[in-house]
Amino acid sequence: MNGFLEYVPGDSFLHKMNPVAKLAVALLMVFACFITPSFMVLGLILVIDFFMAYSCGMIKQTLGLSKAVAGFSVILALIALLSTPEGLLLVALPWGYIGSESVLAAIRIVLRLVAAAVPLFLVFYVTKLNDLANSLVKVCHVPYKYAFVFTSTVHFIPVFMNDMAGIMEAQTARGVEFDGGFLKKLRLMVPLCVPLLVSSVRKTNSAAIAAEVRGFNLRTRTSGYKEYPFVASDYLYMLFALLLLAASIVSSALGVLF
Amino acid sequence: MIEFRNVSASYVAEHALLKDVSFTIGKGEFVAFVGTNGAGKSTTMRLCNGLLKPMAGAVLVDGKPTTELKTSELARKVGFLFQNPDRQICCSTVRDELEFSFKAQGKLDDAARAKVDAAIERFGFDPDAEPYLLNRGTRQLLALASIIVTEPPVIILDEPTTGLDYLECVKVMEVIRDLHEQGHTVIMVCHDMEVVADYADRLIAMTRGSLVAEGPTDEILRNREVLSRADLIAPQCISIAQALCNRHPELKATAIANARTVEDLVAAIEEIRGASPCAGAANASAGTDAANGAVLPGASSSQEVR
Repeated sequence: MNGFLEYVPGDSFLHKMNPVAKLAVALLMVFACFITPSFMVLGLILVIDFFMAYSCGMIKQTLGLSKAVAGFSVILALIALLSTPEGLLLVALPWGYIGSESVLAAIRIVLRLVAAAVPLFLVFYVTKLNDLANSLVKVCHVPYKYAFVFTSTVHFIPVFMNDMAGIMEAQTARGVEFDGGFLKKLRLMVPLCVPLLVSSVRKTNSAAIAAEVRGFNLRTRTSGYKEYPFVASDYLYMLFALLLLAASIVSSALGVLF
Repeated sequence: MIEFRNVSASYVAEHALLKDVSFTIGKGEFVAFVGTNGAGKSTTMRLCNGLLKPMAGAVLVDGKPTTELKTSELARKVGFLFQNPDRQICCSTVRDELEFSFKAQGKLDDAARAKVDAAIERFGFDPDAEPYLLNRGTRQLLALASIIVTEPPVIILDEPTTGLDYLECVKVMEVIRDLHEQGHTVIMVCHDMEVVADYADRLIAMTRGSLVAEGPTDEILRNREVLSRADLIAPQCISIAQALCNRHPELKATAIANARTVEDLVAAIEEIRGASPCAGAANASAGTDAANGAVLPGASSSQEVR
């Protein structure tokens, strides 16, 4: 993987899928994750996530991503654990208690976020941003301006990450020690948001001017020469994702928790 | 002061950017690293202050390997001016920016404040000005001032003149020259061969992650083979001097052969001519007139040496 959200070339079935179909499948899976309360459905979605990652040779990166998302979602899980006193009492707290349902809710949050994040991230890693934007314009009739804003936002994420790394490096060279506890690191990093913000505004402003002078506003839906036809397999994958969504709706309606 | 012993380094484990590089930079030297983009100059600079640790070999600063020191500790000895001042500037006023390194190193006392005041006076800054509203040259000067205000013995400059106009470039380089004269060790990466010829005492030429040659600036800039291997071209003054010597071999024994700057060339021509109408005109235009050869012995017209 070259960098965060950067396209990784390949010829897996995910690479070959229509970009809009990929996005649709990913969004359906995300909806399924957030609708279902069932651990079994969430587990199934996770298995499918990792199968997809394996099929396009990105299992290692997906594990890394899952770890990062799980780390972040633990914070949310802790909040849920301490603020939703439900089920059998396990630990008494001054403001309530931690119940058996609170534990399940916390675990569900972690699983749900990991299961939802993987397909979305995979879409970006197996699809060129231009293809994603152009197919949204051609197939979904999204105005090009909005598609461009979307692709530019994603495009700038690694740029800003690189800028932040450079700024931190410059401050390290001036004697700032970034190693230490989370709070210390956070305290040191807050002032660095100023140079990052300045460079971001300058970069986006330059990009906007450059696009303008190159005839950005002349572009229409028919400007792109590449077509994005749907093939049978695209419909098949979308149908499969719809079935997953249906399963999650049914599990939610029936109140299946496991 | 800084010693590289068979250093190899890389950002990605499998691809060495720097291969088996060895050199020593002594106290008080003014050394410039030259070479094309991707030659490994900036990587070498990052190794000097510990931002990058060597994959193999050792980088020693004052005899201690950088692998044993934190970059923040090395910051007390090695100041680093980045190419882009906007990565360095992070405070809301010029004064805060100048005090930043002292705060980071836990040394902001009365003596430090006095140094900050002196820097403000020396550079003519408005202490309450917003750094991001300053022009590019002044931001570069502020970045430089915020590095040198803590008086690190070694100052590394990564392309300090990039993006500056001629006057800003001269201003920055004069500050750097003053620092060198005060005894600081100056290490500079620079693409501008005129600047290198004017200011550096020693050159280290690099290409594709290896050293091509190192030696006194004069020697390296006159060595066509070295320049060709490092994909560099000599500064105009040296090219003119070499062209004159090639066309008029008798000049090889004169000071023209060793001229490195406009001033050297003008002085050498005046020395040959004796008292001349352009004597004392040690400026760029006079230098160009003189270098055109209109007054050289044996040359019937300026066309001959153009």
